[in-house]
Amino acid sequence: MENLPLTEPVLLILLSLAGQPRHGYSILKDVERMSDGRVLLSTGTLYGALRRLLDDDWIERFEEEESSRGRQAYRLTPHGRRNLQLEVDRMKHLTRLAGLRVAARER
Amino acid sequence: MLTAYQHLLRLYPKTYRKQFGDEMFAVFEDVRSEINHKGALARIAFFIREIAGLINGALREHLRTVFGVHQGFSIPTRRFTVRNEFRFPKSTAVLMMIILAGIVLALEKARLIQASYSEGNPVVPIEASHLTFFPTLALLLVIFYAAGVAGWAILFALRRSGVHRLADISGEPK
Repeated sequence: MENLPLTEPVLLILLSLAGQPRHGYSILKDVERMSDGRVLLSTGTLYGALRRLLDDDWIERFEEEESSRGRQAYRLTPHGRRNLQLEVDRMKHLTRLAGLRVAARER
Repeated sequence: MLTAYQHLLRLYPKTYRKQFGDEMFAVFEDVRSEINHKGALARIAFFIREIAGLINGALREHLRTVFGVHQGFSIPTRRFTVRNEFRFPKSTAVLMMIILAGIVLALEKARLIQASYSEGNPVVPIEASHLTFFPTLALLLVIFYAAGVAGWAILFALRRSGVHRLADISGEPK
């Protein structure tokens, strides 16, 4: 699958959108929350990633109906969700393997 | 700060600005109003992060527009991901800049020591120290940065030309 493994900021952005559609500010805050304040995205970094994800059809953009400011929001496409699932599976396999190897070394 | 941000947004290509400019500015305003309630250090860190993010983002967008470079999702980060792509050696560049700064500082220190000697005590003049500290440092940084960009451009051109694949030719069909 193309573009895997994902970088941490992109993975966090996708995870942020996995639960619900969000607009830019909401993504920034959610990424910060998920990483316990470790990953602080700048607007330049965030929108650079969003632009690439839009280009590759991992996410789509739509206008929030409820927002008074007519803000643009983003959500995962089926293609993006499938790729995110693949990445999560890859990481699960890695962590399982790492756990086994480390445990074996400690015995 | 808002004005500075708007000026920096102009670094982006026009199409990108049209698509994301207003939105980026709105998000920046939201984060800024929140960060205003925090300490000075948090505000400085935020400002530096935003400037670096904008410059880096604008550079990437121009590269993409001009050369059609698509870097996938490899946003620069020092954490977590191992990538096998060619990357500009930032850590080496930073280290060399620190060394250069150290040399300039040492020269400046030597010049001050030399100046504190009395008339009757001749010392060997340090020729390089006639420049003042900050202009020298700025000059070195500019030269070093230009050399880095030129080197990166050469490597990038070689990479794009596909010359590195010549080593993989075995002569036998796969």
